[in-house]
Amino acid sequence: MVRFTKATTAWLLLTPMMTIIIGVVGYPLIKTVYYSFTAAHLASPATTDRWVGFKNYIKALGNSKFLDSIENTAYFVSVSVSAEIIIGVLVALLLNQAFKGRTLLRALLILPLALPTVVNAMMWRLIYGPDFGALNALLTQVGLLAEYQSWLGDPDLALWMVAIADIWKNFPLVALITLAALQTISKDLIEAATLDGANTWQRFWTVVFPAIVAPVSVALVLRTIEAFKVFDIIYVMTRGGPANSTKTVSFHVYQEAFAYMRIGSGASYALIVVLISALLIATYLWLIKKQGNTT
Amino acid sequence: MTALSLKNINKSFGDIRVIQNINLDIKPGEFVVFVGPSGCGKSTLLRMIAGLEDISSGEFWIGDRRADQLPASERDIAMVFQSYALYPHMTLAENIGFPLRLAKLPKDQINNKVQEIASILQLEHLLDRKPGQISGGQRQRVAIGRSLARDPKVILLDEPLSNLDAALRLEMRIELAKLHKQLEATMIYVTHDQVEAMTLADRIVILNNGEIAQIGSPLELYQTPINTFVAEFIGSPKMNLFPASVNEKKSQKKSIQIIGSNDEFAVDTNQHPPQELQTGNQIQVGIRPEHLVPSDTGKIKGTVTSTEQLGSDTYIYFDSDTIKQAVARINGVASIRPGENICFAVAHEHYHLFTSKGNRIKPTVL
Ligand SMILES: Nc1ncnc2c1ncn2[C@@H]1O[C@H](COP(=O)(O)OP(=O)(O)O)[C@@H](O)[C@H]1O
Ligand SMILES: [Mg+2]
Repeated sequence: MVRFTKATTAWLLLTPMMTIIIGVVGYPLIKTVYYSFTAAHLASPATTDRWVGFKNYIKALGNSKFLDSIENTAYFVSVSVSAEIIIGVLVALLLNQAFKGRTLLRALLILPLALPTVVNAMMWRLIYGPDFGALNALLTQVGLLAEYQSWLGDPDLALWMVAIADIWKNFPLVALITLAALQTISKDLIEAATLDGANTWQRFWTVVFPAIVAPVSVALVLRTIEAFKVFDIIYVMTRGGPANSTKTVSFHVYQEAFAYMRIGSGASYALIVVLISALLIATYLWLIKKQGNTT
Repeated sequence: MTALSLKNINKSFGDIRVIQNINLDIKPGEFVVFVGPSGCGKSTLLRMIAGLEDISSGEFWIGDRRADQLPASERDIAMVFQSYALYPHMTLAENIGFPLRLAKLPKDQINNKVQEIASILQLEHLLDRKPGQISGGQRQRVAIGRSLARDPKVILLDEPLSNLDAALRLEMRIELAKLHKQLEATMIYVTHDQVEAMTLADRIVILNNGEIAQIGSPLELYQTPINTFVAEFIGSPKMNLFPASVNEKKSQKKSIQIIGSNDEFAVDTNQHPPQELQTGNQIQVGIRPEHLVPSDTGKIKGTVTSTEQLGSDTYIYFDSDTIKQAVARINGVASIRPGENICFAVAHEHYHLFTSKGNRIKPTVL
């Protein structure tokens, strides 16, 4: 019988998976990098090897629409992620208290997470609907609104409205992660702090906060990475409109590559987005490592 | 003058009464130990004193101040938890100084106090470490140190040594006793370990099913246990209980005969002939293992089932006619084998008489 060393066995076992990953991820990535240096156009195959050097990148970084979309994205990310964190942590603190109906509420928390993004987007588009939308009906009936609004048709409002839909879907993730962290806090610690003379607020800062800060920051970075790539909810709700007010980087890349069929320049945009994502992921890994060191 | 006073304290969780009619006065500087089997309500009682648990009914006084409604933070009572409950992200110095920081003491005053406590507990060289970087025994010291920070009137300790290994437990036990002498603080100590209770306590409170079974000094509990529960709980190995019957002698005196043996002894019933000693009654005679002395003329007979050699002592387990797994404790090494027959003699002052229900019968054995 042939005997392998441990390392050889490991490599043998990894090979099938590595082949698939290289095929599915590596090849397209290399192809994208290649295209980003060409003037490739979907409609004319001959352009795929027309080499243009760094021209695509230079153009991309000077393109005000692309820079606008980065700004939109940053706006969307900061609004939705900060709201998700705040709401998520508050909801987790609430659901960590003992009260009747807690189990039911905890179960309901999964619901938005379980909903496919596209379904969530459709649902909120209906809620925001200018003619029959529930939001208009609600606000006019309680007297907060005089007449029906086109929530997604207003360039000043649209990004906020999309952010709300995103927050509703994603705050439960933060809440669940926080709740799990809260449940690891020993009751003794809270009681010890009480006897040491800490009031509710001091107990939060000395016992609860240190226990949840690491998991919550992981949730923060995860959500930031996800929110930065936001695409489907925009695609379904606004298609980047009105007046490009909800156009995010991913949507910009999509438009450039597939609507305008400029694969070459689209690829360069995509790689810039990848670079920014990579920075976010590096932060994430650093946080994970830090968390591992403290516990 | 009392430090703490519990009057008719009761506690129920829903329909379940876990603490019943506790009456107890604790003197300033006293070391009181609550002892009892797991689940008997020791922690609940301690937590009610600390203010972490409401009192269902009864009165709780601290000195001459009614305190059942007083919030935990205002009782001037500190507690050491079984799990130590140290703040994991704070250094040991910060942990010990935390109660003082909350009391808004100036920094240098806090530092002085922390140094003082650290030197009492030999923690000076560790003050910059975090709880995760020290051993269990050291964590235990820090937890005690934190409880000392505010010079509380009363320090509560809930099974503080049960997470330590045997050697460390012994060492900490001795240190706690020293610390108590040094600080003259009132301490209430909860344990399920009767050895800890016997060695540390000025006074032991034995709890059984949420009720006080007996209160007394360690020796009182050892010498005059009020019932078989206390008798069996205090002392190791536990007291043997032999069934016995009450006979009447010609001389009008009553005598007790341990059933299955010809060990018969007289009891003094002249002064208060108790009802429990009616002729023909079944009672129980308790004999501690250390009072069973092997003797060829001994009247308590049995067959050895097993022995345990501890070096300093030997435990001999034997079956008599009426009870299984009785145990005798002999000084030194005993060369006896399972299967052999053995006889024990007992000095009559070491008999404890209990009714068949388990309550102590008063008169002295003659
Ligand atoms: N919060 C609670 N809710 C309901 N029952 C409790 C609670 N705390 C303790 N008990 C019950 O009270 C009894 C005494 O518990 P405890 O004081 O912890 O015992 P001990 O410390 O002597 O082991 C146990 O039967 C326990 O199950
Ligand atoms: Mg307990």
